[in-house]
Parts: sequence; C-alpha cells; structure tokens
Amino acid sequence: MKNENKIKLFLVDDDAVFLKSLEMEFLQHADFAIETYATGELCMENLSHSPDVIILDYLLDGIDKNAMNGIETLDKIKAYNPDIPVVMLSGQDKIDVAINCMHHRAFDYVVKSETAFIRLQKIITTIFRYQKMEKELNWYMERM
Amino acid sequence: MPTKNLSFKPERKKKRAAELSIANKELVFQTGEKKKRAAELIIADKELAFQNEEKEKRAAELIVANYARSLIEASRDPLVTISNEGKITDMNKAFANITEMTHEKLTGTDFFDYFTDSQKAREVYQEVFAKGFVVDYPLTIRDGKLTDVLFNGSVYKDEKGNVLGAVVVARDVTEQKRIEKEMLEAKVFAELATAIAEEEKSKAQSAALIAENAVKAKQQFLSNMSHEIRTPMNAIIGFTKVVLKTDLSAKQKEYLTAIKMSGDALIVLINDILDLAKVDAGKMLFEQTPFKMALSISAMLHLFETKIQEKNLELVKEYDNKIPEVLVGDPVRLHQIILNLVSNAVKFTTEGKITVSVRLLNEDEEKATIEFAVTDTGIGIAESKLEDIFETFRQATSGTSRIYGGTGLGLSIVKQLVEPQGGSINVKSKIGKGSTFSFKLSFLKTKAEAELETEVVELDTEIKNIKVLVVEDIALNQLLMKTLLDDFGFERDIATNGKIAIEKLQNKSYDIILMDLQMPEMNGFEATEYIRNKMNSKIPIIALTADVTTVDLAKCKAVGMNDYIAKPVDERILYSKILGLVKKPVIIKTDEHKENGNGKSKKSKCIDLDYLIHRTKSDPTLMMEMISLYLEQTPPLISAMKKSLHDKDWKLLYAAVHKMIPSFSIMGISTDFENMAKQVQEYASTQLQTDGIPALVLQLEDVCAQACMELQEEFNMIKNTKNEK
Repeated sequence: MKNENKIKLFLVDDDAVFLKSLEMEFLQHADFAIETYATGELCMENLSHSPDVIILDYLLDGIDKNAMNGIETLDKIKAYNPDIPVVMLSGQDKIDVAINCMHHRAFDYVVKSETAFIRLQKIITTIFRYQKMEKELNWYMERM
Repeated sequence: MPTKNLSFKPERKKKRAAELSIANKELVFQTGEKKKRAAELIIADKELAFQNEEKEKRAAELIVANYARSLIEASRDPLVTISNEGKITDMNKAFANITEMTHEKLTGTDFFDYFTDSQKAREVYQEVFAKGFVVDYPLTIRDGKLTDVLFNGSVYKDEKGNVLGAVVVARDVTEQKRIEKEMLEAKVFAELATAIAEEEKSKAQSAALIAENAVKAKQQFLSNMSHEIRTPMNAIIGFTKVVLKTDLSAKQKEYLTAIKMSGDALIVLINDILDLAKVDAGKMLFEQTPFKMALSISAMLHLFETKIQEKNLELVKEYDNKIPEVLVGDPVRLHQIILNLVSNAVKFTTEGKITVSVRLLNEDEEKATIEFAVTDTGIGIAESKLEDIFETFRQATSGTSRIYGGTGLGLSIVKQLVEPQGGSINVKSKIGKGSTFSFKLSFLKTKAEAELETEVVELDTEIKNIKVLVVEDIALNQLLMKTLLDDFGFERDIATNGKIAIEKLQNKSYDIILMDLQMPEMNGFEATEYIRNKMNSKIPIIALTADVTTVDLAKCKAVGMNDYIAKPVDERILYSKILGLVKKPVIIKTDEHKENGNGKSKKSKCIDLDYLIHRTKSDPTLMMEMISLYLEQTPPLISAMKKSLHDKDWKLLYAAVHKMIPSFSIMGISTDFENMAKQVQEYASTQLQTDGIPALVLQLEDVCAQACMELQEEFNMIKNTKNEK
C-alpha cells in the first residue's frame, strides 16, 4: 500500500491460520500488496480496492452455513469485473471441484498443501505474463 | 345071323383070338407102362413137394431178408457195403440221400470218391479190412453240405468165414459237431469272457487302488496346499496388519482392510479345508481339557460383537447357570462349532436378533449334557434343503454363495465336529423367519481347575522391556514377529532354529520364548525339551504353530511348553499371552517404566514448530500472530466438529475437519492426525463406516486440545523471550 505499483492480492479464506501463513509467504517472497478477508462477503465489499489477483478459498461456508461459498463469491467477482483473475484454493484434491471452478471462470485451481504457495506464485507470474501479452496484442491490434 | 357068320367064325374066331391075344399083350404092356408112369409121377410128386418145401423155405427167407433190408433202409444213418476192392456194393437210402445219387449210380463206384479227404477214406477202408472193424472214424461226406460223419464199420463174412466185404455205418454228426463247435466257441467265449472279467477285475482293483490313492493324495494335497498357502497368507495378513497401523490415507486404509478381510476369509477357508481333510482321514482328534464353559462362550461371542453391531443386530446370550463351571472337553472345537454357527447366523440375518443359548439338559455324577442353540431371524432354509445343508460344499440354494458368500464348508465341518464327539446336531428353520441350529454335547465333569484362558488384553504400549526370543526359521515370519514385537516395544532376538536359540539362551537372559515347531536342525519340541531338561530353565515358552488342529497340543505340553499361538498370529492374543506368562515380573518393571514413559511423553509434543519457524524466518511477531490465530480458530472448530458429529450433520463435520487440516502441517502436528482427519472427511462425505468416526473425532479433539495447550505455552515463551529482548 506504500507503493501504488505493487501488485494487489486479495486472499480470501475462512481458515485464519492458513490465511495468515499464506500472507506471510507472499510477503516474504514477493513484494505484494495483500489484503486478507475471512469471508466472501468481505471480499465483495472491498472489490473497489481493485485487486489484481484474487486467491479464493473454495469452501467458505463450511462452518457458517449462511456464508457465501467460494463459487458464489467467484461468480459475483466475475459479475463485478470479469477481468479479475481468480485462483481457487481448496483442501480437496478432487477433479470435479477443479472442473466446477473452471466452469465458473476461475483462472486456476490449487490444492492446499505445502506446495500451494509455490504454485500460487507461479500462477500469479503466469497471470501477469498473460496479461502483458494480451495488452501487447491489443496494442498491436489497434495499430493494425 | 350069328351062323352065317359061323363059316367065317372059326377063322374069324381064330383071327379074333389072335387079335385078342395081341390086344391082351398090348394091354399088358400098357398096364406096365402105366405103372411106370405112376411111379414116375410119384417121384415127380416128391420132387414137387420138395420143391415146394424149398420154395416155402425161400419165401420165408426172403421175408426175413426183406425185413432186415427194410430196417436197414429205414435207418437214418447212411449205411454202405464195400467190397474188398473198395467199390460200393450196396447202400441204404440214407446214403443215397446224403450223396444225392441213386442206388444204381452209386453201386460199383469208388467208396473214397464221396469224401472230402479220400486218403482218409481209403484208410478207413484199409483199417476195416485190416482190423476187421473200425470205430468212430471221422470223415466228411462230400455232399452239398459237407456233412461230418463218424464211421463205424466191420467186415462181413460168408458161412465159411470168407470176408465178403465191409459194412460201414456213417453217423451224421453235423449236429454234434455244430453243438461241439458251439460248445467250443462258447467255451472260448467263456474263457475270453473270464479273461476279460479277470482283467476287468484287476483293472477295477487297480482303479480302486488308484482312487484310494487319489483320495489320499487329494487329502495330502489339500493338507499340503493349505499349509503352503497358509505360510504366505500369514505373512500377507500379518504385514497388512502392520501396514494398517502406519500412516495411511483413508483410501489406502480401506484397500488394506479389504486385503486383510479377504486374507482372513481365505485363512478360514483353508482351515476349513484342512479340518475336512482331517475328518476324512480320521485324524480329527478331540482334546479333553478342563475349561470354563461360561467364560469360553462369552469370550467367543465377544468376537462377533463388532460384526453384529455393524449389521445392527441384537445378540442375545442365554446361559444356563446350572451348568457346572468347569467341564472337560475340547474348547477349541466347541469354539469352532459355535463360531461357524454364529457366523452363519450373522451372515444370513439382516435384521432382528441372534440368540445363543446354552442349556443344561441333564446332569449326573459323571457328566453333563448341554444343548447349544443358535437362533437367528434370518432368511431361513427351505424344508427340502434341510437335509443337504450339512453336506460338503452345499448351501441351501445355489444362489446362496452368490449373495452371501461362503463355500458351504461350515456346516459340514460343524456336523463332523459334533458327531465324532458323540453329539447330535439339529436344525429347524422357516423360510423368511429364521433358523435354529442346535447341538447336544456331553462333557465330563471334573474337580480339576480349568486352565487359565488368557483374556484378551488391550494393547498397552506402556509395558515394555520384555525380552523375547523368537525361534523361527522362515524369514518372512521372522520379519513379521519382529515388526509385531517392535510395535509392542519389546526387545526381541531372532534365532533361526532350536540350536541357535539354545546358544542365545546361554549367553543372554530372556523373559519369554516364542518357538516355532517345524524347524531344521533342531525343532521346537527338541529345543524345548533341551531347555527344560538340560538347561533346567523355566522360561515361559509359547509354541507358534501354523496348524493348531494337527499339531499335537498335548505334545507341546508334554515337552514343557506353556502355551501355543496359532498362526496367523493375532497380535492381541500374542500380546496377552506374552503378558500373561511374563506377568508378575513385568508389573514391577512396568511401574518404573511408566514413570519414565510419562517423563518422556512430557518432552514429546504433538506440535513441532520447525515449519513455522522456517516459514516465519523465526520472526517472533509473525509466529505469535500465527499461533494466536490458531488458538483462536481451533476451539470453535473442535466444538463444531463435536456438535456436527452429535447431530450427525456430516456436511458440517466434513467442513470443520476440512478446515483443521491445513493447520496441522503448519503447526507440525503429526501427519497421522492429518490422515485421521482426512479419513473422517471421507467417512463423512461417503457416510460409510460412520461408526468409525467417533473414535477418530475423539482423537482429533484430543490432539487439537493438546496442540492448543502446547501452542499457548510456546506463545507465552516467545512472548517472554521477545519481551526480554
């Protein structure tokens, strides 16, 4: 937040411990502006902060039944701005969950594990490379 | 006129006189002639008479001759007379018939021409004339049919004894020949048949022998195979059990459980086959040991409790308290019988209850007769099938094994275990209502104490430092025993045979020996004998045997073994038996040890902050943040988990446990718990084996509570050190 050029990450997970550890990792390994939210609702409220990437837990309504779940949150984010890349996080290593996420236009799906952070990091790098390519392409297209 | 004629008269008279005299003379002559004639006539008469007589004689002779001829002609036997030159002089009709020629044509022809073998015919003729007769000379007449005949002949002579010719009678022996031939053939056939019969008999005998051998071989094969299969199966089951105790994902655990269950089923089957083979071979022996009936039955039924609970059935025990406490019999077999019946009952019952009743039928000075009954509310058996179900490999319906599994050996074994013990088995059943299997057995009463049956002691990992010597030659079994004993926390040494075991015993002291029976060099019996008699050691020895049924348990006891364990070794039984035998000295040791253990466990924690330290790069603030977050988050998760379990809210349980998982690794809590949590998740999501959940949840709760406690301590420590800084 000190620097406006920093990439802004939203971490959304109701598992405070994991959320914290993830935040820790991102802060240590890269220079990100990070905002963490325990629920999908909170995330939605703060979308105006215009995050560059959102990392969203799949199971947000586990304990609190009334809470918005990950997919619902994902849909709302996409409704708000379809260009925000969302990476889904889940404790479940299940294909159908992954596919479901993809159908809801998640950028990727990562299983919570020790390697989750590394994967997220790579995904974020990819996202930006992709976005850069897209921008360049658009720029060339306009020129043409 | 006579005078007139007188002139003439004298002359005439004279002439007349002359004439008269001539006439007289003539007359005389004529009379003479007549007389001559008469005489001639008489002669002629005589001649005639003679001739007549002769004629009559002839006629009579002729009649006789005709009669004889007619007799000859009437004979059916061909008769022929031959001359010295071998020419046919006469024959009867039969001969003409047989040669199909007329009398005329035959007469004067060669006798020999009418036979197939004229040389032989010539011999007949020569013999007749040489010896005067011939008896039963065989020849074949060359007629249309080649009639076989026997010749009987003799020469005939005139009054003076001159040989006139030979008369030969041929007897047609075609019929006899035919009969003879048939007889001969029949005889040949009979001989052949006898030979065949004998051959068949010997074949049958050898077949019987082969069959007998085959049966023996079959039994031997089954027995061998079962043994051979059992050894690797022991290893499979044993190691599966070992692996089951390591960190596994729910899936792996499920698969391994499946392996173990299949293995157990296979062992049961193999044991069944072995038992049957033994019964067939008449090798089934029944022990006569004093045992406590009530204890024995309840211990056995204990085995079914989980299974029965799983199927939501009710197990009702009805035990007659009048039954003498200690009885003499074969508790192992009794177990086996009841086990088979109860497992059938459980298998075929989906709802209701299983009643096991033990009633005292009658009792006298010497023995007590007890009726055991297992009643279920299962599928029942059709009346018509009740006879069959005790037969080997029979089930009530062919579909039974498809639906319920099993080989149909159980009941046949039950029957063969009950009947040789002088008991009887009965079954009553109604389709859809259930079945009752009952059997009566008599047990001798005794005043002797029952042998202590080791009660199954739950694993208590606190009891350690028991030194065990395992004497076992098969590497796999060694490894298995090693693993098991290591699990118990016992010290163990392995000896590959009795000899090595004795060497080890001489150099080191052990608390107990586990002794395999079949080993090279020195087997278990010999080794035990040596230990007891030469070394005068009272060290407890447990026999390890793959086949409780064949091994003479009495022999184990005779050489001084304290107990036996059947392979595959059930770790709980192994543990209880070891403990039971080493008990007293252990208790003292255990107490000390427990303290040590407790001291140790204080040091060993469920959490490990290495990961956190690494991640936070030892930043105390971050660490504290993390820890406090965990401390904040976990208690509600635990309560949510407990609540959801209580409410059977599987979804919530799933979610709560799900949330716990990531923090396990962060806080360095053993992956065991992570796997446990994953298992709970899986059970919760599939809603299978939900009865396994409470125990797991409890463990998770415990570990989380402990982690919270420990983390609180860590938190305070970090806080303190931070403040100090």
